[in-house]
Amino acid sequence: MALEADSDPVSFELEQPNLGALFWCFLKIGLTSFGGSSRAMMYAESVERRRWLRERDFLTGFAIAQVLPGANPVNLALYVGLRARGLIGAAAAVCGIVAPAFCVILLMGFVYHALSRYPATHFVLEGVAAAGVAATLAVGIKVALRMPRRLTPALIAILVFATVGVFHLPMIPVVVVAVPVSIAAAYWAAQGKANV
Amino acid sequence: MYDNRLIGLILVFAPLSLLSIGGGQAIIADIQHQTVGHGWLTDSQFTDLFAISRAAPGPSTLIAALIGYQVAGLLGAILATLAIYIPSSAIVYAASSWWQRHPGSPLKSAIERGLAPVAVGLIFAGALAVMEAAHAGPLAIATAAVCTALLYFSATSAYLVIALVGLVYLGIYFVA
Repeated sequence: MALEADSDPVSFELEQPNLGALFWCFLKIGLTSFGGSSRAMMYAESVERRRWLRERDFLTGFAIAQVLPGANPVNLALYVGLRARGLIGAAAAVCGIVAPAFCVILLMGFVYHALSRYPATHFVLEGVAAAGVAATLAVGIKVALRMPRRLTPALIAILVFATVGVFHLPMIPVVVVAVPVSIAAAYWAAQGKANV
Repeated sequence: MYDNRLIGLILVFAPLSLLSIGGGQAIIADIQHQTVGHGWLTDSQFTDLFAISRAAPGPSTLIAALIGYQVAGLLGAILATLAIYIPSSAIVYAASSWWQRHPGSPLKSAIERGLAPVAVGLIFAGALAVMEAAHAGPLAIATAAVCTALLYFSATSAYLVIALVGLVYLGIYFVA
């Protein structure tokens, strides 16, 4: 459907949503998506069904949402809202996608408050925390193995881990130094390859 | 004291928002160091809240809402959530028009590739911070190792693994 639209850009008219529609659409996605399915739902809703933006714009947004800081689904919602209705559209989309998860997590915080006097609660949550660490580690390993096999990126990853993780240095100065160095190294590595 | 905590929550989460490369997992280490360091949470409470945030649907950045609620009630939850989303959203907002105008810029791919090693270092630091806060013994370390292997080598959903581990631990608690 989206391909058909792209091949005939003249007759393809984008729809401009009203703010309520934008909010409800992302509220629905926030309510029904678990984990990774929100991206596919956002694509289906905003590109295919409602035609708020074009496929190539959505893909740009997807790249931005992944690279830049922030939660990916929230960033993507922000981008779609921004393209469709500007700054206020972005605010509506973000509120929509965050609200359900925010309510659920508050409810869980409330239940935790009520149950925290039982030792069983802490024992079970310790196990869940270990599983949560595993989910984090699995992602970390996947990203690490996708990195180019070169000394500089490996060294940067190890130094960041050691300074923040082992020596408990504040994260902000570490990242403020590491990010420009790492980006410059990646840039020069690419330039070097292009010249040779 | 109450006001100080509300302002403190903003001062902790707003800067970390800018560092949440690839999401909330990157900033877990500093959240642990700061919230426990400020005396807002004990190590055990931090471990519990981390566990809840991973079991909950939605982005892992929402641990800010849980900590805000624990530290300063509903207002704390709202302010911490705003603090964790507004700065990163401002960056996405500012970057999206630049990104659109420079489709093939070499700087863009350098940013993409340059952020990855930093994110990796922060993610592993976060894992270590949680295991330290949990004072992880052999059972927790074994659980983490088995689940990491399961999640890495198979396409099992993290939520399923988390739910199963919760049930197994509940069983162990009442049997042992």
